[in-house]
Amino acid sequence: MNVIEINNLTKIYNESEVKVKAVDNVSLQFEQGEFAAIVGPSGSGKTTLLNMIGGLDKSTEGDIVVDGVKIGELKSSKLIDFRLRNIGFVFQAYNLIPVLTAKENVEFIMELQGKSRVERDERSIALLSAVGLGERVNARPAKLSGGQQQRVAVARALASKPKFVLADEPTANLDSKSTETLLDIMEQLNKEENITFIFSTHDQRVVNKARRVITVEDGHVVSDERRA
Amino acid sequence: MIWNISWKNVWRNKSRSLIVICAVTLGTVSGVFVAGLMKGWVDQRIHAAIYTEASHIKIQNPEYLNNEELKHTIPNYEEIENYLNNSDEVKDWTKHAKIVAMASTSRGNTALTLKGIDPVEEKSISDIYDFIIEDAGDYFESGFKNPIVISEKTADQLRLINYIISQELIDSLKQLGADEKLMASLSTIQDQRFITEKKFKAELESMLKPKQIKDYGAYIMKLAKNYKIRSKVRFTFTDIHGDMVQKSFRVCGIYKTYNTMFDQMNAFVKIDDINAIAGLQESDYHEITTILNNDSDESVKSFRDNLNKKFPQANIMTWKELAPDAGMMSDFMTIYYYIIMGVIFFALAFGIINTMLMAVLERIKELGMLMAIGMNKKRVFNMIMLETIFLTLVGSIAGMVIGGALIGIFGHFGLNFSTVQEGFEAFGWSAMVYPTIETSFFLGVTLMVIIVAIISSIIPARKALQLNPVEAIRT
Ligand SMILES: Nc1ncnc2c1ncn2[C@@H]1O[C@H](COP(=O)(O)OP(=O)(O)O)[C@@H](O)[C@H]1O
Ligand SMILES: [Mg+2]
Repeated sequence: MNVIEINNLTKIYNESEVKVKAVDNVSLQFEQGEFAAIVGPSGSGKTTLLNMIGGLDKSTEGDIVVDGVKIGELKSSKLIDFRLRNIGFVFQAYNLIPVLTAKENVEFIMELQGKSRVERDERSIALLSAVGLGERVNARPAKLSGGQQQRVAVARALASKPKFVLADEPTANLDSKSTETLLDIMEQLNKEENITFIFSTHDQRVVNKARRVITVEDGHVVSDERRA
Repeated sequence: MIWNISWKNVWRNKSRSLIVICAVTLGTVSGVFVAGLMKGWVDQRIHAAIYTEASHIKIQNPEYLNNEELKHTIPNYEEIENYLNNSDEVKDWTKHAKIVAMASTSRGNTALTLKGIDPVEEKSISDIYDFIIEDAGDYFESGFKNPIVISEKTADQLRLINYIISQELIDSLKQLGADEKLMASLSTIQDQRFITEKKFKAELESMLKPKQIKDYGAYIMKLAKNYKIRSKVRFTFTDIHGDMVQKSFRVCGIYKTYNTMFDQMNAFVKIDDINAIAGLQESDYHEITTILNNDSDESVKSFRDNLNKKFPQANIMTWKELAPDAGMMSDFMTIYYYIIMGVIFFALAFGIINTMLMAVLERIKELGMLMAIGMNKKRVFNMIMLETIFLTLVGSIAGMVIGGALIGIFGHFGLNFSTVQEGFEAFGWSAMVYPTIETSFFLGVTLMVIIVAIISSIIPARKALQLNPVEAIRT
């Protein structure tokens, strides 16, 4: 069964004089346990696509079904709760709450979900250890490098036990060493915990790690290939 | 955790937060202190209204209120006496006979009310005895016949206050280190008697240099002042039969309360000394004053109502009716100081709103991220509201602590407003104020702060909720 089904998805921006078709009639399916990269040059519609999958943005046409739910039909208050319970997010930047420690940042989302203190405590430490930050649990984001911050963001995204994790250019601001570490961690979590990752990138090294590569250009999917 | 975030967010931009916090602190300090000052004043005025002037409940003949004639004595006095003696609500009571009279000495005269009292009973009702001026006699303790206690104001009008430069005064100035020239000029008028303050002042001013007056003027005035205790004062009035009567009293003490009007009107004599001469019978009295065990408004009123029912022929008034200025102050005091706080917080609210708006606007990406990952509007709103409450509460708690401490200090030592004294005392307000405050006021202010913070947080929080997470996080 597919975790995500995208049918004839189109997004047109008409804010300015010229209409922009950022996503043009895209249909895709994602299964549990995928490790998929959405690849394309800047402005090709990656962010727009991911935002719609994540329920942050409404489509102009077509629909997205997550776990049997058409998310386009959810009211905005329901949608926030849906995101909280089903989707993990890693953004390019501004992922963390600067006044909280790494551990508190990870715990925060579990608290929003109403998880018990004990569970929050154990899971946040386990996740931070899993991303290699077991020693830095009490550090504030400002005291962490960009790569470490993104690893906290990954831990935070996983903390809510989401059905899948969406990561929009998670490595865009990282050097190659940090990029590699982050990707390795994501890959490992994918293999060992069977967590579904969908990430966008225009970085070839990141693309090489993916087991499925969806290439977009001008809002169209131009190729969708799976690797062994 | 939202509490934690909100609290820490307050300290993110320390200098900006501190500016608002300081403003709130200052506002709270001044509000609390002004409230304390007002309350100190009002409490003093209320205390004076009850314990110096009116007592809790006064019983009179209704006719006497219209026409202060001797014949309008309290009806059914004995029954009332009996009732008061047997009531367990009454702490103490006493009775007065009152005669409107013309007082005169060889140098001056004035009209006033002679209050015939029983000095021993009176002491448990009224604290006039506490206001006898130092070195100006006593409260009916000297043994001589026909003693009278008059106010300083009356003494002045009757020219019973002299100013004399004595050898003693010159000696004490020498000890203070005053220069020879000053002493030489003063000794030219040594032992000369000045019968008014005005003349003495004029003499000093013509004789001394401004600097000398500035340094020693007040001291010389104080030491030169001489009350002519034991002087005879003659009183003229019409007795109960309408005949003119004269009687002399000797000044045994001079008092001064905070209320110049009261002072001007009232002189006290022993009741036995006037009853007979005025033609009053035993149990002919013009007023009864009472102090109750329970001084709450309700119990004073209900006691008044009970008396009214029992003795409908008598006029019975509470202190609030007798001293309406103090009564009104007592009733509206609380409202007044909440209004003061309200005005201050209203002004501060603009600063608070502005600061919180800035805090929200510079955090748009972070707020967008929080909404994207699943923080709902209610929580975002709460987070911003809590931050506003913390910001405001820190300042106001600091303000209440400082304001409370100031009230504590000045409440102990008192604050002297004597530079504007004349103006205050004409209305019965003391120039010395002891600020005081009720603990409930702090609770009220805290509640008010929280309400102000909640209201102030609405605009910034709405701003945050209007933001679209997609746009907020787009880099
Ligand atoms: N809010 C918007 N209003 C108008 N046009 C937009 C908006 N957001 C994105 N676009 C346009 O949509 C296209 C796709 O953008 P985006 O999804 O950000 O691409 P990518 O993430 O691949 O760089 C671009 O041409 C961009 O200019
Ligand atoms: Mg993008």
